[in-house]
Amino acid sequence: MFRIRFHGRGGQGMKTASRILGTAFFIEGYEVQDAPRYGAERRGAPIFAYVRADKVAVNERGIISHPDLVVVSDDTLVGMPAAGVMQGIDQNTVLLINSHETADTWQQRLNTQAKIIILPAQEEIEDRAELPYIGSQCAAAAAALSHVISKQTFTQALTEELQHLGDEVVKQNLAVASTAFDAMAPHSGIVKESALPSATDYIKPEWIELPFEKAEISAPAIHSGATSVKVRTGLWRTMRPVINYEKCSGCWWICSTYCPDGAINVTDDKLPDIDYDHCKGCLVCVAQCPPHAIESIPEHIAKEKELAGAKS
Amino acid sequence: MIEGTPVHFHRMKDMPSSHLLGTGTPMCAGCGGLETLHNMYDILGEKTVFVNAAGCMTLLSVYPFTPFRGGWLYTSMASAPAGAQGVRDAMDIMIKKKKLPEDENMEVVVVTGDGSAYGMGMSATSGAMDRNLNFIYLCYDNEGYGNTGQQYSAATPHAAITSTSKGSHGYPGFKKDLFSIWAAHHPAYVATIIGAEPLDLAKKIEKLQGMTGPRMLISLAPCPTGWDYDPQLSVEIGHLAVQTGVWPLKEYINGKVTHTKIPKQRKPVEEYLKLQGRFKHLFYPQRDEQGIAEIQARIDAYWDNVTE
Repeated sequence: MFRIRFHGRGGQGMKTASRILGTAFFIEGYEVQDAPRYGAERRGAPIFAYVRADKVAVNERGIISHPDLVVVSDDTLVGMPAAGVMQGIDQNTVLLINSHETADTWQQRLNTQAKIIILPAQEEIEDRAELPYIGSQCAAAAAALSHVISKQTFTQALTEELQHLGDEVVKQNLAVASTAFDAMAPHSGIVKESALPSATDYIKPEWIELPFEKAEISAPAIHSGATSVKVRTGLWRTMRPVINYEKCSGCWWICSTYCPDGAINVTDDKLPDIDYDHCKGCLVCVAQCPPHAIESIPEHIAKEKELAGAKS
Repeated sequence: MIEGTPVHFHRMKDMPSSHLLGTGTPMCAGCGGLETLHNMYDILGEKTVFVNAAGCMTLLSVYPFTPFRGGWLYTSMASAPAGAQGVRDAMDIMIKKKKLPEDENMEVVVVTGDGSAYGMGMSATSGAMDRNLNFIYLCYDNEGYGNTGQQYSAATPHAAITSTSKGSHGYPGFKKDLFSIWAAHHPAYVATIIGAEPLDLAKKIEKLQGMTGPRMLISLAPCPTGWDYDPQLSVEIGHLAVQTGVWPLKEYINGKVTHTKIPKQRKPVEEYLKLQGRFKHLFYPQRDEQGIAEIQARIDAYWDNVTE
């Protein structure tokens, strides 16, 4: 059975990628399962979708814990524990990363036994939530790596899945997908089906026995308000709003009132202060600031600058 | 306007500069519904119990996290006003029996999406108004079942593409006039609001705080995910909804409907429509003159009858 997991950010089309790949497997005569992880997926938030394909009925259910192939559309997710990219990866897994950096760099950085392949990133895109066509590229690359899906089949699957968006969209997606498919030719077949788990071979894991706790300990009543601040929704952000205090007119906190999340605090000096732990990067503040004192910069560039600043 | 009610909100500087609603909620970036809720909550204060029907906003409180500082109750999609009745009655009885000090009384606020308010929750809402339940109802109306992938609802506007109206002309039906349906029950208060007009919103919240009985609010909630636009346009689209006359800001008190903001020169509706992917088919691959003109004509017909 092929077990393939797609990781991306909400809006990058990973759900569509899994559908296209699933349909391609289906056309090739496979039994297929494809599903996005259902939950509170939002634009920019780390999400994943997965595909299982086999020549016999697929009875395995749930999230893929031992993937044969992991596709990552946005390399900023690899190091983010909440995204779970590295979950269940071993020496049999192929890790395909859309990145400007080399496979060696990632191999060293991750210190993993997985085989790493790079899907070369196109020109630098400002807003990572808007990587155009990345879903189709990822699906095409995954199809090529599996070796069991022909380019013709893939074309048919993509066309079926994206037809409702119009011929022009299909054409553009096919063009970039084709390049990605061809780019993977040297690695074609590197992703191998892994065996079906057999009940007789099942090795019981070494459980750690945890004594049962009373409900009030494992799920205590919480007598505290606004606990949601413990959730770092700032991880969703692909573009970062930055206030230029020289331009900020110190108005009546219009940015703070309009910020849907209430993530802009007003200081005692009546100046706005963006809470980057929770700002989701919607950029409503950038659009609404009366003197245009808030600009947006790509989050990954902001992070690089922070790192450079910390080192120097 | 009720005689003798002091109004604190005149200018933007009167808007609260600190916010009660916790950050870190799972609402989408640029959520128009959350914008309404956080502004409303700042004024209502923490002595509130939210009764939340299934929808996007039930994700606000997922154990152990909540953005609220008071109470929260989750109900099925059709029964939030019934849940509110229970909470209200319980508090009234506890106060009467002196088991709850009077100063710990809380306002009961129903929060539902349009799927519930315009559709399956309507019967329970009607019943609550019949019984003159003392509660506030906020419907965040993003014109579809947003939490499950934007299927059409009774609040979906004509021609909008949703995941269940994908045809070349979009949704064939028309948005239900919930304001009039609610007003026909003669509750204490009905108003339309929008997060993009915080001052209008604040004035209305302040006004309803001085009343008892059913106080009903419908907020248009621009939805980047369901309406298909860049999240940073949320407030801009909200402004355009008001300026084009798509979303009339009005209130009902004592049998009378008053518009709180009448656009002097309404902008053409296409300025609102063309920013949203769900109306893209009206402009691309070719302009649907007739379709746009029909939508414009319905808006004009509405405003032709508006005098105050």
